[in-house]
Amino acid sequence: MSGPVETEEVGPHDELVEQLTETLPEWLPTQRWFGGKDRDVSAVRALSWTPLLDGDPLLLHVVVEVEQADRAERYQLLVGSRQHQVPDVPASASIGVEAGFTCYEATGDADLTSCLLDSIAGGVQIGHLRFEAEPDAELDTGLRAHPITTEQSNTSLVYGRQYILKLFRKLTPGVNKDLLLHRALWKLGSPHIAEPLGAISGEIDGEEFTFGMLQRFMPDAADGWVMASTSVRDLMADGSGLPPEELGGDFAGEAYRLGKAVANVHADLARALGSQEAHAAELEGSSAAMIERLDRIAAEVPELGPHVERLRSAFRKVADLPSPITVQSVHGDLHLGQVLRTVQGWLLLDFEGEPAATLAERTALRSPLRDVAGMLRSFDYAAHQLLVGQPHDEEQEERALSWARRNRSAFCDGYGKASGADPREQADLLLALELDKAVYEVAYEHANRPDWLTVPLSSIARMLSEGE
Amino acid sequence: MTTLQNPRGDRMHDDTAPDSELVGLEDTPHTGESIADDGTLVEPQAGDFAHAKQAPDDPEWFKRAVFYEVLVRAFADSDGDGTGDLRGLASKLDYLEWLGVDCLWLPPFYASPLRDGGYDISDFRAVLPEFGTVDDFVYLLEEAHRRGIRVITDLVLNHTSDAHPWFQASRQDPDGPYGDFYVWADDDSGYPDARIIFVDTETSNWTYDPVRGQFFWHRFFSHQPDLNFENEDVQEAMLDVMRFWLDLGIDGFRLDAVPYLFEEEGTNCENLPRTHDYLKRVRATIDREYPGRVLLAEANQWPSDVVEYFGDPKVGGDECHMAFHFPLMPRLFMAVRRESRFPISEILAQTPEIPGGAQWGIFLRNHDELTLEMVTDDERDYMYREYATDPRMKANIGIRRRLAPLLGNDRDQLELFTAMLLSLPGSPVLYYGDEIGMGDNIWLGDRDAVRTPMQWSPDRNAGFSRSDPGRVYLPPIMDAVYGYEAINVEAQAANDASLLNWTRRMIQVRKQHAAFGEGEFVDLGGSNPSVLAYKRVLRREDGDEDVVLCVNNLSRFPQPVELELGEHEGATPVELTGSVRFPRIGELPYLLTLPGYGFYWFQLAELEDESERRSMT
Repeated sequence: MSGPVETEEVGPHDELVEQLTETLPEWLPTQRWFGGKDRDVSAVRALSWTPLLDGDPLLLHVVVEVEQADRAERYQLLVGSRQHQVPDVPASASIGVEAGFTCYEATGDADLTSCLLDSIAGGVQIGHLRFEAEPDAELDTGLRAHPITTEQSNTSLVYGRQYILKLFRKLTPGVNKDLLLHRALWKLGSPHIAEPLGAISGEIDGEEFTFGMLQRFMPDAADGWVMASTSVRDLMADGSGLPPEELGGDFAGEAYRLGKAVANVHADLARALGSQEAHAAELEGSSAAMIERLDRIAAEVPELGPHVERLRSAFRKVADLPSPITVQSVHGDLHLGQVLRTVQGWLLLDFEGEPAATLAERTALRSPLRDVAGMLRSFDYAAHQLLVGQPHDEEQEERALSWARRNRSAFCDGYGKASGADPREQADLLLALELDKAVYEVAYEHANRPDWLTVPLSSIARMLSEGE
Repeated sequence: MTTLQNPRGDRMHDDTAPDSELVGLEDTPHTGESIADDGTLVEPQAGDFAHAKQAPDDPEWFKRAVFYEVLVRAFADSDGDGTGDLRGLASKLDYLEWLGVDCLWLPPFYASPLRDGGYDISDFRAVLPEFGTVDDFVYLLEEAHRRGIRVITDLVLNHTSDAHPWFQASRQDPDGPYGDFYVWADDDSGYPDARIIFVDTETSNWTYDPVRGQFFWHRFFSHQPDLNFENEDVQEAMLDVMRFWLDLGIDGFRLDAVPYLFEEEGTNCENLPRTHDYLKRVRATIDREYPGRVLLAEANQWPSDVVEYFGDPKVGGDECHMAFHFPLMPRLFMAVRRESRFPISEILAQTPEIPGGAQWGIFLRNHDELTLEMVTDDERDYMYREYATDPRMKANIGIRRRLAPLLGNDRDQLELFTAMLLSLPGSPVLYYGDEIGMGDNIWLGDRDAVRTPMQWSPDRNAGFSRSDPGRVYLPPIMDAVYGYEAINVEAQAANDASLLNWTRRMIQVRKQHAAFGEGEFVDLGGSNPSVLAYKRVLRREDGDEDVVLCVNNLSRFPQPVELELGEHEGATPVELTGSVRFPRIGELPYLLTLPGYGFYWFQLAELEDESERRSMT
């Protein structure tokens, strides 16, 4: 068993890495997956570097620590480096010329990335990096990969039409929750996830990290957001004035099946990883956290002002809920973009939790209703997406609402059918969780997409008036 | 009341004669016109008629063929009596050859009281008099074969009309040669687990016959007694019926209601092993005595059950050569209405492999209505359970309408549906009139709505018949949109841009690529659910592959799609209707954009650079 590689052992690349760390503060903020775009990068320090392919071309696995004022985050990089035959990568991937080598972000270089899959299949260790296939997984090798373009905070490579390797960009110590939950669900035979096939992990400064997860790729799949958008598009373009249930594009059947799938995943997670009871003190804590978040965001977003009092009272009700309530491992960031429709049915993806949440928040036990609330919010978004930036149109607004009502209700019906408990029976908790999510959306839209701010704001207004 | 010649040769009227209910056959040979001394009915033999020359030898013709379902009654009237007939159909063979049809499927044209659209056969060896005679049928076969067109027809093995002389003899003489031809019982308690199929009209599968004083078994209408296949004489008699037509030159049969031939206590009396055994016997007879003729199973069941009717895959199939893929058709409509490929992808993913010598038959519309209620107790089937709960779709799919009205007469959708019909796995079956976008008449009885006269020209009776308009069996469509003055073969043949000429062109393109008929089907999926993309891959004997790529936009809106075609990196997609070269496939997903309801057919070809090609010239 070889231990972590001492940096001295890969000495030949020290100079290259040192030059890289000087270029990275400028380069990192240009990358989509970089999570710290809100402030300048003060310094980048390399924590480990491991040559996966040596010579020319060179493929270097690098973990850096990025300092931004009082914050320090770890990121994973794959750096390609060549003197000759530099591949045709986009300009944004180019990091610069260091020590006579052209350095670039290498996930788009299929000549280099095929070694990742082959290493997993071979179960090899390179430096501190462990490449492992899951027990029972049989992998084809020699496949070339290309990155998918829709990924936000990580980078995923698709090998052939068979596998997808997700490289986690921002790293947190410990076995990655996504990998952990996939393994637990797969062990129970859950039909609602893509089969986990392998992982890349390693140790830095004595701490365990997950760098990548290999899964079965579903070439036949379409994601839930696209599926729902198809239905919304059909409704909005329809001139007949018929309600959503009368139109061919009706999505309620899918929403119902999706609700069942989510409920089944929750049941399996509870079975695999257990559930606990949250008592009055924890409920009070949750309530206080919601109110704290509300106050913080309301201070920045004046549009939230008119709702603050009623929001507070909705959040306060959480503290008074009859306790205990059951909490367990949940998805944590469930929305239509995190589910896939395949010919076998719905799958759930990305069990990492909210990208902005801390590790403690991500791994905390949650009420499954938090996932339900996330999905309900997503139906609202899907329904209203075509109205964003358009002049106000009462009739279209009403149609969007009718779509959202119908599909939210179908989702809850399906969830209740599979779980035996209709989530709407816990009305106060569900309302608070939805409102909490909507308040978070307000902050996000205010900072990133002001046009969209009306979507969560009008939802909040509606939920509060309906909740009374 | 009928006139018949008894075995002694003198003519007499006799209500109790075995053919007493056969009408209009006085002047033509038919079953039951005479009786042998042992009580056996004398039946016409193939040797009594001329035989048609066979179509060119090609044992696997059905795998690539384009079928065309045509109702004899509805196509062309040769004698001016207002009803289409076999001679009339024969006079239109030039049109069908021009269109590119390889095989006609004729619903039953046998002698029948027509209480079930001719599926109630009262004489397997006689033609319904208004359609003509057996000689007329031989003439049709001869003319069709001369043009390379084959002809198959429906044959109902399971039951006969109660007017069939066999039944008449059976009820009157329990101890005679036909006494055991039907399933008789002293009470109605047998086979309680068999469902009643026509629940609207029937209350039991047993009906009491006062003549014989016993109950007889029927899975369908009470005027259609089931034949008793336990009886070796029945098994042989039905083989002889097939031999009769095969000797005359027919190219095969669509076997109606095949799951119900045998009954067994404690079962639902469907798909029983002995039913399959008999079909194997029929197939062996065909293979031995009439190679190249086909059997097409009508089993309105889930594909996983229907594949049983192809027989043993280890020998390439030893029952029926073909079977209709029923669940695909409603899903095509659902998919386009939902702008989602999943209804189609799912049912094809659940369709099992079929034996090497077998082929599906697929269709958009036919002479019957279609519903999603295919089987009642198929709990394991995800599709049925999930989609039957969408009532709106069910109501919209289970209706009796023609293709064009179902699609709102939208030319783009008509083309998309036809393109899918011609490119999905299976041999396509066109329904007469759909190639010109004929309409229907929902004010006629529901089944007649889609059975109106073929519209040949803007002339009287749509050019279908020279008769007095009041005498035509059903009025031709006359509304402003679909009426025969606007929609007819003559006008569309003269217009290069017509649906008819477009359909003909697509059939031609299909015929140029065997991959459409015999290629493996590979669903390509993709991130856009509104685009259905698949390839058909045919591995030739020399090891090379013919690959046809089909991309269909199920949405009314334009759509982009990125296809994973990495396996074909370096190949050039060549569009099949115009030979237009598209950009070469690279390592990255292949981007295509499609207009609303648009589709592409490509051949994936290994081509040299366009620039090299130019420099060569």
